[in-house]
Amino acid sequence: MAVIEIVNLKKQYAGKYVLQGINLSIDAGQVVGYIGPNGAGKSTTIKIIAGITDEFEGDVSVFGMDVRRHALEIKQRIGYIPEQAAIYDVLTPIEYLRFIGRLYGLSEEVIGTKSWELLRLFELSDKAETRMNTYSKGMKQKVLLISGLIHNPEIIFLDEPLSGLDANAVILVKEILSQLKQSGKTIFYSSHIMDVVEKISDRIVIIDKGAVVADGSFESLQQQAHQGTLENIFTSLTGGDQQNTSTAKEFINVLNS
Amino acid sequence: MDKLILKVLLGIIHVFTKKDVDFDRLKIIAETKILMDRRRSPANYRQKQRKEIKNPLLITLVMYGLLGLFMAMVILARFPLLLGLATFHAYLLFMMAMTLVTDFSSVLLDTTDNVIILPKPVSSRTLFLARVVHILVYLLQFTIALAIFPLIAIFIKFGIITGLVNIVMVLLTVAFSVFITYLLYAFILRFANEQKVKDIISYFQLFMTIFFAIGFQVFPRMINLNSIQLSFALHWYSYLAPPIWMAVATEAFHDLNFDQVHLLMLACAFIIPIATVWLMIKFLAPSFSRKLAALNNNTEVTKKTAAGEKAGKDISEKISPLVCTTGIEKAGFEQTWKITGRDKGFRMQFYPSLAYILVFIFIIVFNSGKNFTATWHNLPDTKRFLAFIYLPMMSIISSLPIVAFNDNYVAAWVYQSTPLTNPGEVITGMLKSLLIKFLVPIYVVMFTACYYVWGAAIIDDFILGFFNNAFIFLLMAYLSDHYLPFSRQANIKMQTGKLIRMVMQLIIIGLLVFAHYSALKIYWLPSALIPLSAFGGYILLRSIKRLPWSKIAI
Repeated sequence: MAVIEIVNLKKQYAGKYVLQGINLSIDAGQVVGYIGPNGAGKSTTIKIIAGITDEFEGDVSVFGMDVRRHALEIKQRIGYIPEQAAIYDVLTPIEYLRFIGRLYGLSEEVIGTKSWELLRLFELSDKAETRMNTYSKGMKQKVLLISGLIHNPEIIFLDEPLSGLDANAVILVKEILSQLKQSGKTIFYSSHIMDVVEKISDRIVIIDKGAVVADGSFESLQQQAHQGTLENIFTSLTGGDQQNTSTAKEFINVLNS
Repeated sequence: MDKLILKVLLGIIHVFTKKDVDFDRLKIIAETKILMDRRRSPANYRQKQRKEIKNPLLITLVMYGLLGLFMAMVILARFPLLLGLATFHAYLLFMMAMTLVTDFSSVLLDTTDNVIILPKPVSSRTLFLARVVHILVYLLQFTIALAIFPLIAIFIKFGIITGLVNIVMVLLTVAFSVFITYLLYAFILRFANEQKVKDIISYFQLFMTIFFAIGFQVFPRMINLNSIQLSFALHWYSYLAPPIWMAVATEAFHDLNFDQVHLLMLACAFIIPIATVWLMIKFLAPSFSRKLAALNNNTEVTKKTAAGEKAGKDISEKISPLVCTTGIEKAGFEQTWKITGRDKGFRMQFYPSLAYILVFIFIIVFNSGKNFTATWHNLPDTKRFLAFIYLPMMSIISSLPIVAFNDNYVAAWVYQSTPLTNPGEVITGMLKSLLIKFLVPIYVVMFTACYYVWGAAIIDDFILGFFNNAFIFLLMAYLSDHYLPFSRQANIKMQTGKLIRMVMQLIIIGLLVFAHYSALKIYWLPSALIPLSAFGGYILLRSIKRLPWSKIAI
């Protein structure tokens, strides 16, 4: 059964369509990697599905409910982890998680035990009561991950979940994502890191200039494009392949001149 | 105080809660916002050291309270009812609007809520109400800080009824200040992108910092002023000034005089603030927040210059070939010139000290106790033009320690990674840049003013003064630790030996002023000293230029 159903989704900013008719149907338990060049409309799509933006054309439903009319019910059952460490960083992680937990209507005890446990697992327990304005980007990202998962959502949206994390944390998050998948969660995420997407996604959706240009498992994409890695497929589909090579050549020429 | 206000407001809302508002979540959001307000470092009157202060908001509120205390003393001391009230409301309106623009703008223009709170199950109506509660708490605590002492003064001086009526008027003035702020924002947002908005707001913040600096000098003096005309007459344009509506409306209750003028003003005082705020919430605010959201979505769009078209040369690029000898020096010159103009940290720390030049000159030149006009008439007979020559340097020299700091200090790695053999040249470039950018324009203004008063006789003094100023500046630079421009982290120990430096500065400037003053007795001597002073400056410049890496502190 499809938990996310997107039909002919369009979105315009200042008269220009940044999404021009996206159709997607995502089944429960799928891990979907959503990739595309900067400005392709990844974040916009995620914001619309998560009910953050309600000005769009087309139909989007989650759990069979229209996002425009049942936003609150949907939000209670999904988790959204934004990009760029958007967080109230004058708060401590404990205060922040308490705030978020309360917004989800969790009880004080649940919030308390869960936040401490999860922070401990991310090796942040000794800094749990320090204000986050001294945190590195990776540490903030960890707190954001916890805050998006603390209410145990059924669908998880992640916008660039790995940016700013150190190598060990990337491996940890990758592992958490695959464990979440095993426990039956649906995961919808965008990323730039192609080999991670290649490894953990059941399904890869590539968008370019607001339209889907490829959709399928990694293997099926490989067959379609006759290319080796996801990176190759990506550049050939988003038109960067030839151009990147010639730009690089020209760059060297200018250096040598 | 904020917690108490919140409790009262929440109590009121609890009674009127409708079914589509989630009271618990509203409370959580408002509480968290207020907690964050307490920790936000204030935009005005920022502390130099970045130590984490427990409650910076409280400090700001105390500062505002102090300003209110001065206002209360002004009302108590001199002013009759109408003028006192009009001054008080003008002060309140101005302070509220400026505070909202400078301090609260970071909260109002912040769209982080959209990614943090909107994905959570919170209805937009709840979020909207939580924001209103948050803003009200903020407004009320600043209102209390600003108005508590003046209100007490009004109660004491003009009686209970006037005081009570005035409490209502205070709230109306605050409501009106919100509307004014809103108009200002709408105006800025209409013409500017996000970066520009932040720039414009930072200029307002600068203005406020200067206002505070001067306000604390001037306000206490006002209490002793005797010569100000204290009469007050209503003109047709009085109807355009909100503080006067409030004052006249209060007067109506004080004198129990409800004639045509008073009734009209009373109507203005009540109807206009309420109507404008209602209008704002009902019609203007929704489009405002949409514009704000669009602003944040379009951050990637930057100004494109057409292909092939190069931006015009910066003024520093035109000046640098005239005053710099080597490429490295030019680099230091242009770098300093551009960053001092663009970096908010530098502007906020240095520009207010320029405002002090005016205050100092006013105090030293005109504050001889007696009558202003007499001082003005006697001015040409005095030697006070020396103050105009040397006072600016007191402020400009403070740019020296500031210019070493930058939030983005790590970018100074380029000095190490490039094969830079003469770091001293970067420093001389920097020094020339500061002198030409800040001293020269101010000096020209000073000269023009003095030429008007003293005539051509002071030309040679100003030429000598210029070289002396440059000499002082270079000597201070030579004697203190040497840093490359914008290479130090801001929160490491700030300005070691500040006192010693200040004393040294005063002694050097004092000696030179004394020498200049003595030289005035022989009419040709100042002109004769010019080459000497210039030569001194040249020697200093050459020594700094030859500084090796070992003398540069990193």
